[in-house]
Formats: sequence, structure tokens, C-alpha cells
Amino acid sequence: MSFKDILNSGKFVVTAEVGPPKGTDIKEMLHHMEILKGKVDAVNVTDNQSAVMRICSMAVSRTAMEHGLEPIFQMTCRDRNRIGLQSDLLGASILGIKNVLCMTGDHVSAGDHKGAKPVYDVESVQLLKIVDGLNNGKDMSGNELKGSTDFFQGAVVTPEANPIEPQLIKFEKKIRAGAKFFQTQAIYDIEKFKDFMKHARKFPVKILAGFVVLKSAGMANFLNNNVPGIRVPQVLIDELKAAGKEKALDTGMNITARHIKQLKEEKICDGVHIMAIGMEDKVPEIMERAGLP
Amino acid sequence: MIITKKRDLKDLMENVKNYRSFFLLGCSECATLCGTGGEPELKAMKEALEAEGKAVAGTFVAKTGCQVLGTKVELKPFKEAMDKTDCIIVMSCGAGTQTAVDLYEDKAVFPANDSLFLGNMTRLQFFDERCSLCGKCILDKTGGICPITACPKGLLNGPCGGCKDGYCEISPDIKCAWVRIYERMKKLDKLQEFCEVTIEAKDWSASQKPRALTAREEKKK
Repeated sequence: MSFKDILNSGKFVVTAEVGPPKGTDIKEMLHHMEILKGKVDAVNVTDNQSAVMRICSMAVSRTAMEHGLEPIFQMTCRDRNRIGLQSDLLGASILGIKNVLCMTGDHVSAGDHKGAKPVYDVESVQLLKIVDGLNNGKDMSGNELKGSTDFFQGAVVTPEANPIEPQLIKFEKKIRAGAKFFQTQAIYDIEKFKDFMKHARKFPVKILAGFVVLKSAGMANFLNNNVPGIRVPQVLIDELKAAGKEKALDTGMNITARHIKQLKEEKICDGVHIMAIGMEDKVPEIMERAGLP
Repeated sequence: MIITKKRDLKDLMENVKNYRSFFLLGCSECATLCGTGGEPELKAMKEALEAEGKAVAGTFVAKTGCQVLGTKVELKPFKEAMDKTDCIIVMSCGAGTQTAVDLYEDKAVFPANDSLFLGNMTRLQFFDERCSLCGKCILDKTGGICPITACPKGLLNGPCGGCKDGYCEISPDIKCAWVRIYERMKKLDKLQEFCEVTIEAKDWSASQKPRALTAREEKKK
């Protein structure tokens, strides 16, 4: 079953992430794929994440397919103009890639090629419209395609953005532009997330809550201070502190598992997206602790 | 105005090391306001060149250095000095520099400044970039604040995920353009428009270089 069908079947879905490496040695990446295979419903393949140059997400998406995983091809607007984006979408389509996640992309100033010219010829809302057009046999200029795409397109949203109103307005624009599913920035406060879901449930889209496992109280503080849209509540930071250095990661995994379990049991959203960031080997254990099959 | 900043004097001196006699051309408009091409800056440049053993045959602050014909007329009385000059240093923007290139085909011309952006002076010698000269204004749709310029990504439909507490992911000193637009639209009671309108991808053909405009012809029509 495809990711789209699984999501539409009402099953509580789990997606994880594969980060393409910098360089052609993909042994470790393939090992991560092996761990995730058969456990998760799909894997996001990041697109030069944090504006750090790596293997392109299209090639790794295809590699994931060849290793038994369903990829969600992440596509940012940072590095390609509208011609490049559409051309890559057509390319991804003939490679059998079915899911695409449309995002704006971290600015080049965050990455390792700070002198690069940031493109942003179009942005996430317009990219979603482009995908919708290609699915309907037309390119962005209205030209007829010889064979259309059949993408299941998604987008991202930050439920704890501050201020939240402009973020929610953009969320609605993304839905109008054709987004069928959303993966969120990492969330740590389920009660607050419920408020967001109350709003999101007004729309016919699937929502996957994002998770980044906390490895320590220090990491939680770092996220709070440096990462936009992430807010780790003090009570969780205290919990990690109380666990002590040795047990911090284990506690972080428990927190994630506990939250996922609650989301599933209370049917708060449609699934979760676990961003392991180098801890892909822990994903199956987190899922087990969350009571996921 | 065009915001300029002085180039590193060492680089300029390297550019002009083989020339002996100079003419310094400033501009009374933007470069004077930027402190890069007014009388005091020309005086300082003259002293710097003379300290290097160079001769300065003449100096002049043009009224509007990017106006080619006007500058040509203004420079007529300096013919004698120009004849003695083998290198012109232009202390305005890149446009002013190229006025001199147009007017003096046989003389070397070097810029004293880097041209940065089209900006507003918010207080004395504080400049902010406000307009990107994109060729097709969208201020009518964005509450009068330009996201093409004020947002590092030039986003057209709201903030990205990098907005942190109303500030930009690339610098805590930059307020998120889309939060500013949101707040202004709210004040103007135009939030509905902000919500409902999806701005289409920009037609960049309007900023295809090199651009030229003949306003006179349009008048005739």
C-alpha cells in the first residue's frame, strides 16, 4: 500500500527521516534504511538540510525505494528556479517517487556554502500549486504536458510558531494550494498541540506530529534558544535533569514514546514524523515503547 | 537613494598604482549623503593620493553624477585639468563611475566606492534597503512593506518556519517581514485580504538585465 493509501485508510502512520550524506559513501545511510525498513510507513529524504550540500534528495529517494522504503521526496525552493523544480518533479515522477514535501528551505546563510546565491524563485505555497498543476497535466506556464505526474503532495507547519497567526494563515494558503498532508515542526507540549489540531481539523488534510528525541537537558535548552518554532516545556527539561546524564537519552526516548502513545490513543492527529537526526537505530525502540506495531 | 560604501583604500591604490595624475569626481546626491563622495571625502582622497606622491589635477562634486549630459556640461570648465589627467577616480556609485567612462573614452576610470543597494536613510548615515527595483511593484498587495526586499528569501505568501519570536532566522536583528506585514494589515483592518490572497510567483522578466526605459516616447503617446 502506498503512503497515501495508508494515510487515507485511517491507520496511525509513522514516518522517519533519512539524511543523505555528504559524499558518495552511503554505507551508513543504507544501514539506517535497513533499520527503518518494514517499521515505518515512509521516510522523508531531506533536501540539502540546513543548506549543507549533500547528495540530492531525488537520488536518495530512489535508493530508498530500491531498499524497500517508501520515500517522501523533500523539495526546497532554495537551490532551483521554477524550471529546475518542475524538471526535477518530472524526473522524480518517472523514477517512481510518489510523495513530495514542498518547503521553502533554510537560508544559505545557515549552511556550508554561505556565498551561494539563494534562489527562492518560487516559495512553498507556489511550489504546491506547481505540483498540483503537474498532476493535472500542465506546467506552471500553462503548457500541456505529455503525461502528467501523480504526486501526493505535502507541506510543513510549525504549530508552536510565535506569533502563530501568520503561520496559520500560511497553513491555510498551503491547503488551498493543494497540500494533502502536513508534517509539523517538533512538538513537546501535547496540550498546546491539541489547540493547533482543533484548528487544523477544520480542513481535509492529514497531520503528522513531528518529534525530535531529546538527548539531554542541554539539548532541550539549545532547541529552545536556537531553533525557531520549538518550545520544550520546563517540566520536560526538569525530567531530563532528574534522570541524570546516563539516563537522559533513555528518558528522552520515553518522553517521545509517551507523547506518541497519547496522540494515538486520544486520536489527536493522523500520525507522527520522527526526526532521529543520527539516532535512526533508536526509532524501532521508540515505536515499541509507544506501543506501535 | 543608492547606498555606497568606501572601497578599501589599499585596493584602490593598487588599481591606480601606474597612473600619475588624477581627477576626483564626486556627487552631491546619494554619495554626499552616504559620506562617500561629497567635498570632505574628495579632500581626504586628494590628500591620500598626494601622500602617495600622486598629482591631483582637479576635483569636482557633480550635481547628479548619474545624469550623463548634465555632468558633461558641468565638467566643461575643467577641460584643462582633465587634459592633464590620466586617471579619474569616481567617488559616487557604479552609475556615476560609468558616466565618467561614457564621457572620457581615453581615460582610465576607477570606482572609489562599492555600490550596495537602493535604500532609505532612517537617521543620519543609517541606511536600510527597502526596494529591490524588481520591475513590478507588489506593495499594493503587502500593506506597503516589500517582502522581496525585507525577507531574505523574498517570500510572497507569509513567514517561513524560520521566524523566531517575530525575528528572522538569518539574524535576530531583522524583524520578520511577514510578521511586519501581518501586523500592518491587521492595523489597516485588511487581514481578510492577507488570508485570502495567494500572491502568484513573480514574473522576473520585468527585471531582466540590462534594463532601459525611454520615458520621453511614452509622453508622446
